[in-house]
Amino acid sequence: MRHLHRHPGLARLALVLGLLALWEIAARYLVDPMFLSPPSRVIAGLATVFRTPGVPRALAITLWELAVAFALSVAIGLAVGLAIGLSRFSRASFMPIVLLLYGTPQVTILPLFILFFGIGPASKIAFGVSHGVFPIVVTIVAGVQNIKPILLVSARSMGASRWQTFRWVIFPHMIPSFFAGMRLGMTAVLLGVLLAELYVSTAGIGYFTTLFTQSFDPTRLFGLISLLAAMAIVLNETVRRAEVHFGRWRAE
Amino acid sequence: MTAPDAAVHVRNVSHQFGEEGEVHHVRALADTSLDIARGELLCLIGPSGCGKSTLLNVMGGLLLPTAGTVHVGDVPVRGPLPREIAFVFQENALFPWSTVMENVVLGMVFQGVPRTEREARARRSLEAVGLADFTGHYPGQLSGGMRQRAALARALSLQTGILLMDEPFGALDEQTRMILGEDLSVLLARTEKTIVFVTHSLGEAVFLADRVAVFSARPGTIKEIIAVDEPHPRRPEFVTSAKFHALRNRLYTLLHDEIRKAVSQSASGGGAPDQRP
Amino acid sequence: MTPRSGRRSQRLSRAVQLAFLIAVLALWYLATARWGVSHLLLPNPTSVLAELEDVLASGEFMGDLRVTLTELAAAFAIAALGGVSLGYVVSRSPYSVRVIEPLLAGMYSIPIILFLPLYVLFFGLGPASKIALGATIGFFPVALNTIAGFGYVDRIYVVAARSMGASGFQLFRWVLLPAALPVILTGLRMGFIVALLSILGSETIASLAGLGHRIVHLAEAMETARMFAYIAFVVAIAAALNFLVTVLEARGRR
Repeated sequence: MRHLHRHPGLARLALVLGLLALWEIAARYLVDPMFLSPPSRVIAGLATVFRTPGVPRALAITLWELAVAFALSVAIGLAVGLAIGLSRFSRASFMPIVLLLYGTPQVTILPLFILFFGIGPASKIAFGVSHGVFPIVVTIVAGVQNIKPILLVSARSMGASRWQTFRWVIFPHMIPSFFAGMRLGMTAVLLGVLLAELYVSTAGIGYFTTLFTQSFDPTRLFGLISLLAAMAIVLNETVRRAEVHFGRWRAE
Repeated sequence: MTAPDAAVHVRNVSHQFGEEGEVHHVRALADTSLDIARGELLCLIGPSGCGKSTLLNVMGGLLLPTAGTVHVGDVPVRGPLPREIAFVFQENALFPWSTVMENVVLGMVFQGVPRTEREARARRSLEAVGLADFTGHYPGQLSGGMRQRAALARALSLQTGILLMDEPFGALDEQTRMILGEDLSVLLARTEKTIVFVTHSLGEAVFLADRVAVFSARPGTIKEIIAVDEPHPRRPEFVTSAKFHALRNRLYTLLHDEIRKAVSQSASGGGAPDQRP
Repeated sequence: MTPRSGRRSQRLSRAVQLAFLIAVLALWYLATARWGVSHLLLPNPTSVLAELEDVLASGEFMGDLRVTLTELAAAFAIAALGGVSLGYVVSRSPYSVRVIEPLLAGMYSIPIILFLPLYVLFFGLGPASKIALGATIGFFPVALNTIAGFGYVDRIYVVAARSMGASGFQLFRWVLLPAALPVILTGLRMGFIVALLSILGSETIASLAGLGHRIVHLAEAMETARMFAYIAFVVAIAAALNFLVTVLEARGRR
């Protein structure tokens, strides 16, 4: 018992195992197997999920959609963020527009994206980008904006040109914000792409979630969703680690 | 002094934080004994980490010592005694979400003062500390000095026999400390409270106290007690007198080596952990 | 920057924003009226306006609006009650905070909307699945903020109150609750917004009724102009609700 006290990680693990046990019991004895599947069966069934024809390819396609959407979000976000952030006037003019768009519930225009881009991967990527650019733009603008004026003054006092000031002062200063933006952007892209997939999909993972739902196959459905959740965790964690690594000089 | 005059008895109090062998193990206090007379103002002074705040917390029942006892009169102290002991802390403990008046009243709510008396008492103590015009302000709107005045008003309104103050002016600048010190001396001369006051400042100790207890470096124990024989309220002229300088110099001599010892202690090992219970 | 030039550049910024808006509207109009973009893809702004007037005048939106708002109310009620209760219980000991808070934060970091198919499988296509998912997603910001609010009350206030003889209830009522309230209110606002978004999302993906479903239905029927009208309507409703909870939160913080 003392060990649990010293290691909250262990206690957490015990808690999770306890909850899994409850789920196991409920699924086995209390609920109709058409609606809920116990974890033991889900884990055993993961292999069959993979063997279902089309699933590995669908996972690959979804992963590709995420990668492309993220890359595009970063590229566009960086460009737009710098364009807006580097001048006080463009900040004052365009940030309100950006924030207004950022605040709208994009899920309402999901059918519109499908209408414009079709039911293939293009619409998933587009929707993902539409979600991902905003946090990146906002954090980059903030990163450029909150540079301490004294740093700019001291660069100017040493005779730095505008390009030099940007390359050696503003850009390095902005990098931690950039990585923070990428972390938020990854979460947003995940949301966008997965939402679009769940809505309509012919080749991606959404096809199979619909299939397993309509055929009342909770075992394979939960297996598939767990895989997607695991993928989301890995992606989020990767970007988070990158942020920690590159943001080291920021004591905050 | 004879026992009936002593308000607080501290007997062989030792305290350590953590167990032997643990990383956080700190022997804060070692076998400290002290008798504090009713109505006197005693200062505790010493280097950082010497256990003076720990002793104050033990006296006030916020901390149970690992050895030794504290008695208030003949009552052993084993927990807070809100009817007998009131605190003023260094960190501002006024609730930021309530006004100054509400803060003072709240103290009496906790203590159990009847509703009819609360506001009158609050007004009186706020007037006594010079905050009569600021009763509706929030702590965030006041300066550091005024916040500590309000904290003092809250403690005074509880009408306890004993007041424990843990570096109440520690977070304030020199000039504010000077003013507050003079005002405090005037205020306390009117009451008959027993006051224990922890400070780092040599001048503050000599100016305010009847006696000054000098602590050694960790593990702290009382090295010497110096008496300051000067009538209350202390006048500002006292500070420039020869008597003041002589006393201050004595404190300096007593403390200097202990301070050096404490500094080398904190360089080699970790500092004392947060001594609040 | 002098005050005069400051005000001037402010007006200039406003002019740019206005110009941007006009440019977008102009492009939209030209695309449909002059450049031959199919009106099934991008309807004429005037027809969208006409459809919007029709929707509002006929009150056709009422049924779906009622469904969505009921789902939102139910989901938020569950999330708020569950989140604050659990959050308070967890916050009582620093140890349980250390054990449970990272677990909740970790769970919240994945897109929980992924679990929608499971909820639909279990609860069906009706409002129950939307309420359940909305409550699940809304629960986390409420619980996490409640833990933060109660769990990180500065110790000095607790110590001071106890030294003055405060009872357990007095401590809760006069110290813990007022200290934690601003953070909890923020959590409630975040939970509300997130529940709304998840309900709209799940109505879009798998539903038989509600505003999200209505938009999908119109998309499938290729009634694009009317769909645009409904999108504008839903965005307005969402903005109004957002504004409402922001104001309530600010009021609650006094």
